[in-house]
Amino acid sequence: MIGYIESVINGILMGSIYGLTAVGLTLIFGVMKVVNFAHGSILMVGMFAAYWFITLTGVNPYLALVVVVPLLYFFGYYMQKIVIKPIFEAEKHVREPITVIIVTTGIWYVLDNLALLVFGAEFRVAQTSVTGKMVEVAEMYFPLAKIIGTGITLLLGVYLYWFLKHSRMGKAVRATSLDREAATLMGIKQSRIYNIVFGMGCACCGVAACVLVPFYYVYPTVGVPFDIKAFVIVVLGGLGSIPGAILGGVIIGIIETVGAQFMAATWTEMLIYAFFLVVLFVKPSGLFGLRQDY
Amino acid sequence: MKFLSNVPTTHKVFAALVLAVLYALPLFVTSPVMLQIFILIFFYAYLTSSWNFVGGFAGVLPLGHSAFVGLGAYTSTLLYLTYNISPWIGMIAGGIVAAAFGLLIGLPTLKLRGAYFALATIAFAEGLRVLVENIEKLGSFEVRGPKGLLINLVGNSFRDFQFLSKVPYYYIILTMLVLVLILTFFMMRSKVGYYLAAGGEEPEAAEALGIKVSKYKLIAMAISCFLTALGGTFYAQLVLYFYPKSIMGLDMSYEIAFIALIGGRSTILGPVLGAFLLRPVGELTRIYLGDTLPGLHLIIFGLVLIIVMRYQPRGLVEPVSKWLTAIFDRIENRRRA
Repeated sequence: MIGYIESVINGILMGSIYGLTAVGLTLIFGVMKVVNFAHGSILMVGMFAAYWFITLTGVNPYLALVVVVPLLYFFGYYMQKIVIKPIFEAEKHVREPITVIIVTTGIWYVLDNLALLVFGAEFRVAQTSVTGKMVEVAEMYFPLAKIIGTGITLLLGVYLYWFLKHSRMGKAVRATSLDREAATLMGIKQSRIYNIVFGMGCACCGVAACVLVPFYYVYPTVGVPFDIKAFVIVVLGGLGSIPGAILGGVIIGIIETVGAQFMAATWTEMLIYAFFLVVLFVKPSGLFGLRQDY
Repeated sequence: MKFLSNVPTTHKVFAALVLAVLYALPLFVTSPVMLQIFILIFFYAYLTSSWNFVGGFAGVLPLGHSAFVGLGAYTSTLLYLTYNISPWIGMIAGGIVAAAFGLLIGLPTLKLRGAYFALATIAFAEGLRVLVENIEKLGSFEVRGPKGLLINLVGNSFRDFQFLSKVPYYYIILTMLVLVLILTFFMMRSKVGYYLAAGGEEPEAAEALGIKVSKYKLIAMAISCFLTALGGTFYAQLVLYFYPKSIMGLDMSYEIAFIALIGGRSTILGPVLGAFLLRPVGELTRIYLGDTLPGLHLIIFGLVLIIVMRYQPRGLVEPVSKWLTAIFDRIENRRRA
């Protein structure tokens, strides 16, 4: 029995970190209606940045947040401004922005394979002060790094929620997401909002990267499994919904760890895809999605 | 032949000329490496043309077509290995299996927005790959999980779809490509083609005119999956050994989509042009730089894709055909004068 409780909690811990990557994806989709397929690769960029920062300076791993998050914010900001914006503009009035989707896939390929070229295919582990440390609660053991990660996720979720609901910029973001034209008429500069949102989406990946590096391998295609899980999570939670993304992440995390108690880990992967297809079949708007979004 | 009536004579002559050159090519090119490169170009052009039925004409973005390549390859090979059924028959069986799966996945997803469809197809393809990797035995079929399937060599045998030389493969895939292009040509000028074009661009307007958009999208999906699976059987017989990652991995799905978009979606010749541009780059960098610079060809693919989408969002077939048409017009005018 205690084993199940332990695995459920472990699932929640890992799942909230999945949710963290999904938050960035859902934020970008919510405003731009573009699924950023390069999201996992941006996470990979963040993980390499955090890895090198931690390894070269030897400081507390969470100090990397200060460097990696702004770095990825500007990375996303300029990626949107230089690469995606011109294509997005051309396709603004098309119902299905397919070209943008495929271009982000192109970015994914370029980034992943550049990383392969530069860093090689080997798996790296950052040696930090929290790596491998466990916390004991009532005879159950949890990795410290995951507990800290979950805490950071929740803080970020609350901050984003407050930012979107109450800050001036957040209101502008929401207005753009609801109605591009009307927002423009109110004097909100659309392209600037898109740049900022893309930057913020990528910055979420930066947070996730710093949280992951103390306990996860870093390698050039590390983004792919996270990418695909993030797709599943955002659809499950409802594309565009931030609480949905975190909750969806937790659900996927629980399926993964609890499923592993009953079957081989490769089968749980299968289970996640099946679950995803069922959600698409039954309720494509997800748990928190708005009807208009699909 | 009334379909061909509005095609200018020069175009027909040009097409016939290109076909004649391609069919005569193995007489001049005898190096198996070169032939293999051509076979792979045609194979990818074929897959992309099949993809085009749903990715181009139905106006959605399927990113999991390798699943159908895999279904075709696995169905025909398992039938061959277990019951010794000729791969030619297995090919059709694989096509039917793939079409059934295509309908199953298209039914809930084709009415959703493009992004959802793209995500659903990825999830389906990856899910199917993981499933196959987990199955060792399915009834009397030895699926062998991640180890994959090996087809025994029996030498030259048409019935067993095996040839020692590359030339028969060359002709088979070239013919398959020509047939699928002809099918595309007729499809574009058929009722279904017009319905799809309308549904892809203005679904609400098309629905309002009484076109059941999702029904025609489903038809396109079934055709596309069927044809893709035939390509899967061909590939299985060409390489004689495959495993889930090699034949139903995401890389192949993306490459198909890349070729389509770089060449030109919803055009007849776009996929062919795209395959002729990308495949040689892929093969040559892999052969000559694969050890020192792994993944270089994928960086090139990605960059080419981004640049083409930036400056020619409708694909390269548009400027190329404009340029060709200008030449044809000049020839036509000179002929008249």
